[in-house]
Amino acid sequence: MRDTIFTRNRSVPVFIAILTLLAIAVTILSEAYGTGALSVSFTKVLGMTLCLCLAALAMDLVWGYCGILSLGHFAFFGLGGYMIGMWLMTARTEVVIRANLASSPIPPTEAEISQATALQIFSVVGAEDWPWMWAVSDSLVLSLLLVVLVPGLLALVFGWLAFRSRVTGVYLSILTQAMTLALSLYLFQNDTGLRGNNGLSGLQNIPGAEGVGQDRISIWFFWASALALGLCYVGAAWLVSGKFGNIVRGIRDDELRVRFLGYPVEVYKLVVFTLTAMICGVAGALYYPQAGIINPDEIAPIASIYLAVWVAIGGRGRLYGAVIGAAVVSLLSTYFTGGRAPDLNLGFYRVEWIDWWPVLLGLGFVLVTLFAPKGLAGLVDYLVRKERT
Amino acid sequence: MIRLAIAALVGVVLSLLPPGKAAAQEAGGPDLQSILQQNAELVADASRRTVQDVLDILIESGLPEVPAFLATWQARELYQRESDGLFFYVEDPDADPLTLLDITSGEAVGTAGSREVAQLRPNRGVQGVIAAALVQFQLGSDDPAERLSALASIESDPDESHLAILRDMMETETDADVRRRVEALLPALVIAFADEDAPRIEAIQSLAGNVSLSARATLNPLLATTLEVAEALPEDRNVAAQIRPGRDALSVDDAYAMLVDAGLAPPLIPRSERVDVLAANILDGRVGGVPVAELNTEDARDRAYAALVEAGLADPAPTEAEVAEAVRSYVFYEVYRESSAAVTTAARETLEGIETRVGFYRVLDLSLDGLSLASIYFLAAIGLAITFGVMGVINMAHGEFIMIGAYTGYVVQSVVANETLSIAIAIPLAFAVTFAGGVAMERLVIRWLYHRPLETLLATFGISIALQQIVRLVFGALTQPLTPPDWLAGSVSLNDVVSISSIRIAIFILGAIFFVLLWLILNRTRLGLEVRAVTQNPAMAASMGINPDRINMLTFGLGSGIAGIAGVAIGLFAQVVPDLGANYIVQSFMTVVVGGVGNIFGTLVGATMIGSLQKAIEFLNPSNTLAAQTYMILFVILFIQFRPRGIVALRGRAAGD
Repeated sequence: MRDTIFTRNRSVPVFIAILTLLAIAVTILSEAYGTGALSVSFTKVLGMTLCLCLAALAMDLVWGYCGILSLGHFAFFGLGGYMIGMWLMTARTEVVIRANLASSPIPPTEAEISQATALQIFSVVGAEDWPWMWAVSDSLVLSLLLVVLVPGLLALVFGWLAFRSRVTGVYLSILTQAMTLALSLYLFQNDTGLRGNNGLSGLQNIPGAEGVGQDRISIWFFWASALALGLCYVGAAWLVSGKFGNIVRGIRDDELRVRFLGYPVEVYKLVVFTLTAMICGVAGALYYPQAGIINPDEIAPIASIYLAVWVAIGGRGRLYGAVIGAAVVSLLSTYFTGGRAPDLNLGFYRVEWIDWWPVLLGLGFVLVTLFAPKGLAGLVDYLVRKERT
Repeated sequence: MIRLAIAALVGVVLSLLPPGKAAAQEAGGPDLQSILQQNAELVADASRRTVQDVLDILIESGLPEVPAFLATWQARELYQRESDGLFFYVEDPDADPLTLLDITSGEAVGTAGSREVAQLRPNRGVQGVIAAALVQFQLGSDDPAERLSALASIESDPDESHLAILRDMMETETDADVRRRVEALLPALVIAFADEDAPRIEAIQSLAGNVSLSARATLNPLLATTLEVAEALPEDRNVAAQIRPGRDALSVDDAYAMLVDAGLAPPLIPRSERVDVLAANILDGRVGGVPVAELNTEDARDRAYAALVEAGLADPAPTEAEVAEAVRSYVFYEVYRESSAAVTTAARETLEGIETRVGFYRVLDLSLDGLSLASIYFLAAIGLAITFGVMGVINMAHGEFIMIGAYTGYVVQSVVANETLSIAIAIPLAFAVTFAGGVAMERLVIRWLYHRPLETLLATFGISIALQQIVRLVFGALTQPLTPPDWLAGSVSLNDVVSISSIRIAIFILGAIFFVLLWLILNRTRLGLEVRAVTQNPAMAASMGINPDRINMLTFGLGSGIAGIAGVAIGLFAQVVPDLGANYIVQSFMTVVVGGVGNIFGTLVGATMIGSLQKAIEFLNPSNTLAAQTYMILFVILFIQFRPRGIVALRGRAAGD
């Protein structure tokens, strides 16, 4: 057998196989193309979970492999969502406006349509003109580019500044957290052009697919999310398996030694930081059309900490660990906070999961950190070792 | 109701009068009703010209019920009985029949249907004369308090007639308080109502350097301008400035709109109106020869409209060149509402002087604001300065210790009602509670993670969300009250510009005490020495007989305990909610990092810098505190690029690496 990424990293074929099986299973059970056992909303939850897994994968690359505990990657995720959200909202609103103006006696000019669209979108924040950052929001191609470029550029500039002055360890974490806070505060302002705390909404309506029901749109996005996750997984596995991966791991374990060996540590860190930011942007751009709404709350610093916690619970430094962590924790959170979990009656006290889930989750972090530094993926090690002996 | 209140007031005034005088009036002299009956005609059909005679007679009579009578008359609540011409008050003007009250005693003397009595409705002019007489009457009172209240009513509603009265008072007034009040009030009245320029200018200049709001409120209206347009600059008006449309604050479009309003130019046809005109002239799917479907560009619309104008179906719209030409051929200028140039000049110069001083005080006020914000940040961060700065432990649950401190205050206050006492109990109790919490956390979790600092972050974050949720479960998600004692409720103000609330002063003092105390503990006690030793080199410290476990435990407890006390202080002005601490955590970390990790002096400097910076940015963009926070954080991020170790960086062995 040739030496490929599939043979070098045994988790890759397993992962791709599981992902493919999941995609087939979901399709068969979906409302649009199958038996209808899975509701549209649950299909969306699954698709969104895959996007979160993708973000966690990026987080694992930057933290588990490179040792940079970034508390800003969910901000990149949100930025990706905002970038695609601008196009979705503009295009969708324009369709509605055109339909409204079609009945007027004199056909509207393009400028009038644009003006009416802007008024429709921005009247909630008391504005009526297009802010500069919406300049390319009418072009899908450019918006897709921005999904990658904006988080990438922000990460590049921020990373260059931070790595250049050798901010490392917990200081870097705090700095990235500050960046996240600044970004969310910026987005919270009504006059910065992204509709303040109203955020962007109606993102589930895909322009150009007006006649298509949400049942089919949800499964399309599920496929797209699965595809993105699969591709990025293979790409990430390939990246960390070669020399690049060795150097990056070296930086994690002893940055100074790698520097003394003559490698430009800053460049490696910058590449990883920027690349993962871009992956997060893509994940966000796939996530928010399924969620339907994005607002600055999503970007709050706590979201990025959760991302790190998922990776820690799943197990760092092994790509599938991050995916397991994100999937397990976010699905459990959805289950327990969704109000479907039956309350636990202890006789003297009634445990309502909506209330107690955050407490359990918090204590869970503590226990995992203290007693299972390898996370859930440590179980895999255990099983594999058992199999070999 | 008002009438009853006035009657009560009259009763008070009556009782204040010397008994001899009152008795004399009761015995001899005409009572109010008979005086009024002698002048019934003048009262019932009062005119601005004649009413003064009646008022003079009334004031001369010196009867104590006159002010109440005048007030009622002025308020149009006086009634005259048709049958005998007697005057009465009524109890409730909406009732039917009306209950008549005697105008001297205020007692009910009978009822009357609304047809049987006539309500007296003095017109506006008469009302004004009565009001002036009323004020004069009150100002003539023997009671200084009465005179002061009359002055207050003059201040809130000044009138031309008051000017002479106040000028007279300046000559005769003996009571020092009243005199000061008159002195303060007179310039405003002189400026507003005096006829000649000289006294007005003098009054204006007497306000020089006065930064009070009332002085500025007196001067500012003098400089109010209106924008006008004419063919040439008028000679006889007090022109403030000429305005060039397009270059100054006035846009060409607005200038043209002024011309249109003044009837000096034909109106523009706005685009929306033009579309209406086009829509009204659709003929066989064409407008002016242009097919409707093609009218989706401005160019096509122009052509269609031009065709309509040519056919006489629409008004010609002025072109841009015509608009520019029209605007160019007129002069736009701002003219003072005040006609005297000498007065406006004096007012402008005086106001400029005042504004300079106000600017100075603003800077002072801003610095105080900055200091106060800095002390809040310092309080929030100082516990962290010990746990993170000295021990190097990232404690994401630090904010929750602050929150628990605030809730301790709330719980104590719900048991002990007295605010001062409850705060006095809450402060040590909050320290005890959070100290215990900190020690427990250190023993159970943190000590296993000293070699994995990044994972401390995750574990303490888990503790943080668990604590937050538990507090939410116990106390609910709503804001709980933590009331500061009354002596902290007010504010200290130097003048109308500079003021600071007492609670902020208290927080500032608390921050200062903490700083000194901690500095002493760390630098002058055995514990401090051991803490520093363990921080620098645990192994060496241990071999010197120091127990690092114990020291770590105590240090962490100390940092957490201080966070608890800070929580009580913060809870006094912020809202006590479960995520109270979460709002401070990022700022606190930044404060410590910016100041320089490892010493509390750095935290002080960091807090001062961040606090004053944020206030300064807010001052530049006052409408938006979120933007101030955003820019402040950006600044911090950039700052750390240039001083990664903070402002006060440790050097040598103390730096630890």
